Amino acid sequence: MSFTDQDEALISAALDGSARAWERLVKRYEARVYNFSLRLTGNQTDALDLMQEVFLGVYRNLHRFRGDAQFTTWLFRIAHNKAVDMSRRKYMVTSLSSVAGQDQSDEEVLDHIANDNGEHDPERLLSASQGNAEILGYLDILNWEQRLVVELKVFQSHTFDEIAEMQDISANTAKTRFYTALKLLKAHMEQSHELS
Amino acid sequence: MSCHESSKLVPDYFDETLSLQQRKAMETHLQNCADCQEALAEAKSINVHLRQWQDEPVPQWQRIPKQLHVKSEPARPRFSFWGQWAPLAGAFVMAVAVMFNVQLQVQDYGFSIAFGGGSGIDQGVIAAQLEEFENEQRAAQQQTLQLLTAQLEERQAGNNARLLETVIEQFGDSTTRSLEQVMAYFEAQRQQDLQLMQTSYQRLADSDFQTIRSMQQLANYVQYQGN
Repeated sequence: MSFTDQDEALISAALDGSARAWERLVKRYEARVYNFSLRLTGNQTDALDLMQEVFLGVYRNLHRFRGDAQFTTWLFRIAHNKAVDMSRRKYMVTSLSSVAGQDQSDEEVLDHIANDNGEHDPERLLSASQGNAEILGYLDILNWEQRLVVELKVFQSHTFDEIAEMQDISANTAKTRFYTALKLLKAHMEQSHELS
Repeated sequence: MSCHESSKLVPDYFDETLSLQQRKAMETHLQNCADCQEALAEAKSINVHLRQWQDEPVPQWQRIPKQLHVKSEPARPRFSFWGQWAPLAGAFVMAVAVMFNVQLQVQDYGFSIAFGGGSGIDQGVIAAQLEEFENEQRAAQQQTLQLLTAQLEERQAGNNARLLETVIEQFGDSTTRSLEQVMAYFEAQRQQDLQLMQTSYQRLADSDFQTIRSMQQLANYVQYQGN
């Protein structure tokens, strides 16, 4: 039985009320969803909240899954929507979103990075390994839109057309956000290396 | 990085949807543009760095939503059939008992149930009890009335005497005659107050007796309705 077939069998059993099937389905994808959530939110508590919302959304809409797309694609579309909802509610990166927007000039961006001493809340990164903590520190300088594009492009390997469709923006806007995010990350990495 | 193409070229490089022709054009530009080469190298480096992410283990969490718990394990009803209907049946029996004035009497030889008020209550007994209660109340109130009157009389006499002494001290013997007149006036006032007080107490007592009679009438009415 292929991976997709197993998904479909588990989905069918879960729809019939099998808690065991649902649990197995969740276990197959929870690590991907949790790490997606962790990279977007930057801390374990919010990542868990987001993951729970994602799987609750999946459960509530499971009867609508037609099988014409891969379950992972459908799942991460829900994850994306839940993440956007959460960002609207909690203003995940409020401290930076107002200064690191895409309309900024390079000077403004670099000024912002120069003022950022590279210190991030260590409590938020406790669960992450050394390398992950560093990556979360880099991602933390991005605003929500840039962070989401980087997540979808680098970690989820979506095309810009897919990202554009998910976020209801043009592909060019998605590319611009990605490029701006890369510039910010490069400047921040250079500054971090200089400090260390 | 001053080449304006960089902002387009770098994202395009990471886009798998470029056609072969577009990709060839991009490579041609890259061969001739040091700025774009540098920009792309940095972007690749960042991409590699980010991809070093090691998946974090998932903490313990509640995987199965509550809704699924309910679906998979249908909850048994909290009460059995009789448990559900018992309170309603009890309420119905109580309502019938009140409506038909049901009386349950437990005696040595067993118990008896009577409907309506006629059999259980003797009207003569009630009347005698009320009469006795009225007499007791009347005697108690008369006694209280006499006691209050005596206390008032004593207090007024004391007050009059003290007032008289004070007046005598101030005006001396020369005004003895006037004082006698004042004394007579005080005495008249005292008698008038006493009469007024007695009248008030009597009205109060009469009002209480009227209340008792009203109760008696009410009892008679209830008795009549029961019959």
